[in-house]
Amino acid sequence: MNPKNNYKLNRGEKAEETSLPATLKKMWALIESEKRRVLLAFVAILTNSGLLLTGPYLVGYAITHYIIRPDYHMVLVFSGILLGVYSLAFVAQYLQVKTMGTVGQNVLWKLRNDVFQKLQSLPLAFFNQNKTGDLISRINNDTDKLNQFFSQALMQFVGTIFMVTGAGIFLLVINFRLAVAVLLPAVLLLLFTRISSGWIKSQNLKNLQSTGGMSSEIQESLANFKVIIAFNRRDYFRQKFSEANEKNYRSAIASGIANGILSPIFDFASNVAQLIFLGYGIYLISTGALAIGFFVSFLTYINRFYDPLRQLANLWATFQAALAGWDRIGEILRLESDLAILPPGAEKQKDAPLLEFKDVSFGYPDGNLIINNISFALEAGKTYALVGPTGGGKTTTASLMARLYDPTEGTIFLEGRDIRGYEPTERTKKIGFILQEPFLFNGTVRENILYGNEEYANLDSKALEEMFAKADLGKLLSRFTKGLDTEVKSSGDATSLGQRQLIAFMRALIRRPDLLILDEATANIDTVTEALLQEIINKLPKETTKVIIAHRLNTIENADHIFFVNGGTITPAGSFEHAIEMLLHGKRKS
Amino acid sequence: MVSVKKKPNIFDTVKSYKLLVGLLIFAAIGVNTLNLVMPKLIANGLDAYTAGNFVMPTVAIEFSVIAIVVLILTIFQTYLQIYASEKVARDLRDRLASKISLQSSGFVQEANPSVLLTNLTSDIDAIKLFVAQAIPSIISSIVTIIGASALLLWINWKLGLAIVAIVPLIGITFFVIFSKIGPLFRKTQEAIDWLNRVINESILGSALIRVLHSEKPEMDKFMKANSEARNIGLGILKLFAAVIPAVTFISSLGIVIILGLGGKFVIAGSMSLGDFTAFMTYMAMFIFPIIILGFISNGIARSSASYARIAAVLNAPDVVPDGKIKADIKGDIEIKNVTLAGTDKPILQNISLHIKPKQKIAIIGPTAAGKTQLLYLLVGLVKPTEGNILYDGKNLAEYEPKSLHAEVGFVFQDSIMFNLTLRENIAFNTEVKNEALQKAIDTAELGDFIASLPKGLDTIVSERGTSLSGGQKQRVMLARALALNPKVLLLDDFTARVDGATEKRILENIGRNYSDLTLVSVTQKIQSIEHYDQIALLMEGEIIASGTHEALMESSPEYVQIFDSQKSTNTYESKK
Repeated sequence: MNPKNNYKLNRGEKAEETSLPATLKKMWALIESEKRRVLLAFVAILTNSGLLLTGPYLVGYAITHYIIRPDYHMVLVFSGILLGVYSLAFVAQYLQVKTMGTVGQNVLWKLRNDVFQKLQSLPLAFFNQNKTGDLISRINNDTDKLNQFFSQALMQFVGTIFMVTGAGIFLLVINFRLAVAVLLPAVLLLLFTRISSGWIKSQNLKNLQSTGGMSSEIQESLANFKVIIAFNRRDYFRQKFSEANEKNYRSAIASGIANGILSPIFDFASNVAQLIFLGYGIYLISTGALAIGFFVSFLTYINRFYDPLRQLANLWATFQAALAGWDRIGEILRLESDLAILPPGAEKQKDAPLLEFKDVSFGYPDGNLIINNISFALEAGKTYALVGPTGGGKTTTASLMARLYDPTEGTIFLEGRDIRGYEPTERTKKIGFILQEPFLFNGTVRENILYGNEEYANLDSKALEEMFAKADLGKLLSRFTKGLDTEVKSSGDATSLGQRQLIAFMRALIRRPDLLILDEATANIDTVTEALLQEIINKLPKETTKVIIAHRLNTIENADHIFFVNGGTITPAGSFEHAIEMLLHGKRKS
Repeated sequence: MVSVKKKPNIFDTVKSYKLLVGLLIFAAIGVNTLNLVMPKLIANGLDAYTAGNFVMPTVAIEFSVIAIVVLILTIFQTYLQIYASEKVARDLRDRLASKISLQSSGFVQEANPSVLLTNLTSDIDAIKLFVAQAIPSIISSIVTIIGASALLLWINWKLGLAIVAIVPLIGITFFVIFSKIGPLFRKTQEAIDWLNRVINESILGSALIRVLHSEKPEMDKFMKANSEARNIGLGILKLFAAVIPAVTFISSLGIVIILGLGGKFVIAGSMSLGDFTAFMTYMAMFIFPIIILGFISNGIARSSASYARIAAVLNAPDVVPDGKIKADIKGDIEIKNVTLAGTDKPILQNISLHIKPKQKIAIIGPTAAGKTQLLYLLVGLVKPTEGNILYDGKNLAEYEPKSLHAEVGFVFQDSIMFNLTLRENIAFNTEVKNEALQKAIDTAELGDFIASLPKGLDTIVSERGTSLSGGQKQRVMLARALALNPKVLLLDDFTARVDGATEKRILENIGRNYSDLTLVSVTQKIQSIEHYDQIALLMEGEIIASGTHEALMESSPEYVQIFDSQKSTNTYESKK
């Protein structure tokens, strides 16, 4: 069973064994919107295969009727017909390749979008429980396995199946008994393929998993490169990578062996069929049951039957790899966010506090209780400070306020209504949360400040600057060499932590939230600038409620109320002096 | 910045695997030669039958023996190509990773981690494909084409010549189309880089995205990158879709020629029906490898584009050779006229500072003054554009980095955690002894916290340290640096996320347990550094004042301003 808040992928438990028809049905859902293209490609494949199959028959007919009983004029006529047939086949084949390739690209596009959209719909807990590199690998690498199948294999798949069926029918029509004999090895192949498929798929799945693992190693090491250098552990990256690489190498060879097992056996079967044909065919000619002219056609059809079948052997491996990729993607797509939006309950209550915690507890899936049955209320327009030792639960409390998580027990009320009843748009408009670890996107300061802000997205530079000046943020912008146009990077040290915090501050402020939460939001900003930030906060509308988490005492001294958070409990501190007393002498519990 | 001497050649990847590739070629040639013999056996059988001297058992035995040898050889070839390609890929990955591991932090940022990730995964996959499929296919295709054309010419040179004449036509078709596809493949890999970056940002910024409810803009961003990838894919497809049908068509012309011309020969009696049959079969054999070559050249174009990207990293200039002096420093640090250039303006300008052994010095200053970069200079994470950093009077570059890093502990400002156990995170440098580890843990006041964990030091820290609080992470970072038993400790805004009481205890612990330390502390809080030997005030990349607290209170108005901004708190804190 899936305990609440558990979004861990790669749990190692065996995925539900889904039957082939069920998987095909799901895959069909992917290409359903491409129905018309698939149909067109289908017709093209039929035409192409039909035309290509007619070729040998025409040749056989010409040999029997016009070469053995010489009539060179008719031979030329047949050559002309053949040329026409092949020209048509050219057009049909082009259409087929192009159309199915387009379907493949569209499916890949849609699939990647679906996975990414799913990622966006999942709560923060999901990201805390999974590795970045593995997720990237799923979105890129695993979807590509499906792309390979859809764009290259699927059309060949359908094409070859037609070829094989067509050639089989021609064989049966020309001489039934001989056909049955030469098709016998194919039946054995079918059985063998059925038996080995599950194994092939599982080997591919293991390989994809190890690729994801390797991707995670690279991701982590590159992101933490400066520690690796400063602590003299360049060998760490090499070694960790080498381990992951070796593991990937082994699983790749195993899956390669699995994928490669079919091909030689199919080749062999094809040769056995030819041998049967040679022996039995000559016997049939000697008894007069087979015209000698059709000996050539028959041989060609045997090749037309077994050659695509050999390709099918390779395609089958691609198909199994696609199924394995599909499993890993499906693992994400099956996840559902626990943070469902409830039907809105009662209307906003007039005298309800802005935010209220009622008997709230919160714990992670591993069982550790972080917040233990706390209740408190925040009145509109007041400033609250959360203080306490590190690891006491301050950030978790703040995250619950912003509904980054839901409490495992108890309820949180926003303006008297269960916070779970709010649409995200409405909720996030009311609550501004400056996170402890500021995050920037690659781009300019402007893009980062306006990120996710529909209201100001279309303002021109001048209007923007006026708006900033009005909000008193102009002075902060001067901390960036090119103001709003300064380039910043998501990783690396080109932008200092303090600057990142300034951007995060501005980003939250211009949204004018009702509840502003600052989680150590100014910790790395110098105290002079911080005083400036304090002034800006003080000028916010009177009804703005502020929750401040900070270690610097001057950051919290102006708070109306101070809560002492420790060991998952929350205690009103009464006065500033009392809070300091608790801070200095309170024993850390965690 | 990357100098490439000659154009990277994809065949370089297999240069050091001559034996493997040789075996692979041998197997491929064997399989294909034998495959060529089989139709001739059947043709012989048919002709023998027409001539009335057909002996079934002999033919059957010959045929079976060859079929079994082919089976064994194909299995051998299949597994050999898997082994060879995976080995080449693994070794190339290792080489690439070692190369990256030796680079500077700046190189990794510059080269962009997302791109390096693509290099190590998707680009290497393309090389793998080259080794596994391209090499054997090229060889076997060429063998088959040469063999089949030789047989065609041998059976009937006139008819054979007519068919072989088709080859140049096919060659031209390939050349025209692939010269256009090549550049598109490079773009494909760039699109994958872009996708990786968007995904990466959306994961690292997942908390922010949820706070701002900006899932929709993220989706739009992703969609844009994804659509670009699709458009390039469709562009390739448009060109590529013509290749196979065109080649099939041109080859089919061969069948028309055989019927038209060969039919004439048979009627005229200059060619046997058996040969005519064999001609048809060889024709089919002749076409197939040509189509394969078409596919493969497509693959080679893709692999070459990927290899060019990999080679750019592999050929990046080596970092300056490390110094040789084994560090056994006393802790005397001198920064001499150091300037660090930035993109728009210098990050640090003409900085000079002398820190004597066992001294405690603080660097304070506003946001983006260059404080962190100054610390980076001290450990060699960035190199000064001008000037020198001297440890005990010798240039930083002259020291062996390994030994110097073992004596200089750095506590980074941003928390960097590895998905390892707490023990491995703290004793990140493996030479750390248990004793040093315990001392570091006690000093960083982590003992209680670790004791509260069911698995203690063996608790695994999740990626990005999401299971720890900000302050806990910072203390782990401190313990990591202290576990080295360093001579010099560099603290970057260490106190920012630790509560006052804990901070005070930790600083006292450091003073007691590591009394010989030279300490350089970047900080915002004056109160905890008032007693330091020296305080340097850094603003906009320049040291505008330095001296003791008392001296600065006298001489520097900027310092006084900072002091005043913290005064109210000081009164409270001094009360206790």
